[in-house]
Amino acid sequence: MLSIKNLKAEIEGKKILNGLNLEVKAGEVHAIMGPNGAGKSTLSAVLAGRADYEVTEGTVDFDGKDLLELSPEDRAREGVFLAFQYPIEIPGVSNTNFLKTAINEKRKYQGLEPMEATDFLKMMREKMELVEMDKSLTSRSLNEGFSGGEKKRNEIFQMAMLEPKLGILDETDSGLDIDALRLVSEGVNKLRNKERSFIVITHYQRLLDYIVPDFVHVLYKGRIVKSGDASLAKELEEKGYDWIKQEVEANS
Amino acid sequence: MLVENIKAEFNLYKNQAEKSDFFLKREEAFAEFEKVGFPTTKNEEWKYTNLKNITNQSFQSTCESTIETELMLSHAFLKELTANKLVFVNGSFRPELSTIIETDESIVISTLAKAKTAHSELFNKHFGKYAPIEGQGLNAMNTALLSDGAFIYVPNNKTVTNPVIIVNIADSTDVNVLCQPRNLIIVEKSASLTLVETFYAVGNNPSFTNVVNEVYANENAHIEHYKIQNQEGESYHNNFTQIFQEANTNINHVTLTLSGTLVRNNLHFFMNGQNCNSLLYGLYMPHGTELVDNHTRVDHAFPNCHSDELYKGIMMDKSVAVFNGKIMVHLDAQKTNAYQRNQNILLSNEATVNTKPQLEIFADDVKCTHGATIGQLDEEPMFYLRSRGIPADVARKMLLNAFADDIAERIKIPELVELLEQEIEKKI
Ligand SMILES: Nc1ncnc2c1ncn2[C@@H]1O[C@H](COP(=O)(O)OP(=O)(O)O)[C@@H](O)[C@H]1O
Ligand SMILES: [Mg+2]
Repeated sequence: MLSIKNLKAEIEGKKILNGLNLEVKAGEVHAIMGPNGAGKSTLSAVLAGRADYEVTEGTVDFDGKDLLELSPEDRAREGVFLAFQYPIEIPGVSNTNFLKTAINEKRKYQGLEPMEATDFLKMMREKMELVEMDKSLTSRSLNEGFSGGEKKRNEIFQMAMLEPKLGILDETDSGLDIDALRLVSEGVNKLRNKERSFIVITHYQRLLDYIVPDFVHVLYKGRIVKSGDASLAKELEEKGYDWIKQEVEANS
Repeated sequence: MLVENIKAEFNLYKNQAEKSDFFLKREEAFAEFEKVGFPTTKNEEWKYTNLKNITNQSFQSTCESTIETELMLSHAFLKELTANKLVFVNGSFRPELSTIIETDESIVISTLAKAKTAHSELFNKHFGKYAPIEGQGLNAMNTALLSDGAFIYVPNNKTVTNPVIIVNIADSTDVNVLCQPRNLIIVEKSASLTLVETFYAVGNNPSFTNVVNEVYANENAHIEHYKIQNQEGESYHNNFTQIFQEANTNINHVTLTLSGTLVRNNLHFFMNGQNCNSLLYGLYMPHGTELVDNHTRVDHAFPNCHSDELYKGIMMDKSVAVFNGKIMVHLDAQKTNAYQRNQNILLSNEATVNTKPQLEIFADDVKCTHGATIGQLDEEPMFYLRSRGIPADVARKMLLNAFADDIAERIKIPELVELLEQEIEKKI
């Protein structure tokens, strides 16, 4: 589904991704861990198409399409969804109107008619339950005045509504208390299926107790320096990142 | 040259007029006009707004209109709204196009020309008492040669059930036309009124609309006042609105400038008692080389009053906007709360905004804030919306609508809010 080869990216002349490789197959969950500043958010931003980052080398193939050639909206409509580490507030744009527009733009892209209002509302209700989103939040402006946890839940709610092929969660666990963490994780688990893949970016192993990954990768200095199964996350939790850093320095 | 047109027109009028008090007032105004003339960019208040494209041309007052006017009326804004409508074409009242649905006979929804005799006491008490002419060439010109306008009188404790819409059309099909509407609005104690002024232009010749509004709000009165300026073609517009507030009055004023070659709004509030609430909101979205200039002034002359002002601009092409908001807090006006903001989004690199707050505070126990912003549409929200599959042009519209929403939510007529949304859709 997703094949990243030798990806290099920089911002303002600063090299951040330095030849990153990653293969994600349909239905797989990949966790990406790594110390602060390793380039995790940069990877997610490059995949979602944020213009600030310049890709200097490498390729990203998404279901046979050259992802890097697509505009951010086309990537989304092809099935990429990024749950932001820091979801922003957009006053004056209502949550409901925003989602209706997003869904209908995707349908238009797929050559489908706009969704019936009643179907849309039914879908809203169902997906809201998934993350126990308070009903009152949907009539408000997008994320405006939402607590940190509510914003993160709203990201997962949007993902549920948009039904992507690939969900990228950028530190969705940060700023969540244990109950919210469980809720959000359960929401994500319910969205897991044979076709849908996830890249779960996290700094801590905690989240991976709930969303159990198929693979765990360590990102350091803009490259994947170690890969393993779920047990690698446990090891990192116990030993921290220093031993990885030392390994990398020793090999270079 | 406009100045010659004005002189000739006044001489013509002078020879026919009977020598009433009204005539004397106009003669006095004409003398003032001759003395001060039109403002130039040397005047600090007119630094960014050059009237030479108006003053170098000829304009004439006329009561003629063409079929274009009827066409315009057939698709004018708020046509479907249940309202009292006063239609003025080139400044002349058109009874056959107007409708008054108010049934309370103590409420007067009429014209200035009629009120001068039918309500002479009220007329003489209020006319020319609020809008100054000294040093104000354009106000003096309006007073000297005003065509006609609305006269609205709401007695104590009365509410005008439906809005009153004053429709102004400048029809320049045949000539360069000068329209000088003059409205006098009197809302007595504990009375309330919703007033909408709309401005249109038809015809291929230039038009110049020079409006003076005097609004008197007696104690406890409540006025909702909306102004919609949508004059297309080569149309120039100057508007002076003086709102005089007695104690405990509540005034909400929204100015929507959708179109006009040059639009200058002078909106002045004077609070003549305690516990007044003055709300001034505006939205402008000029395109091409249009210029929109909003000069506002709020005089806090008594303690415990509140004013809130927010003007927002969406700037396209090579358009120019001027904002100057003056807040005067007089010596006795303790416990004043006065807020002012001007926010602009530039959708083009060639658009210009000149913004200037002017706070003059002579009392010491006051809360006043002001702020101005000029910038592009933020990248972050754009990316957020696009990352959810919303194309850039749709996302942009959503964000501009959101930007305008702060003003739209001040409008209490749902049909007008809807109309604004459509206009934004159309303009951007
Ligand atoms: N807009 C930017 N301008 C300059 N440097 C940036 C910018 N964004 C990120 N960086 C830098 O890139 C590196 C990687 O950041 P990021 O991808 O956010 O790391 P992570 O998510 O792994 O903590 C950091 O050193 C960070 O300071
Ligand atoms: Mg990060």
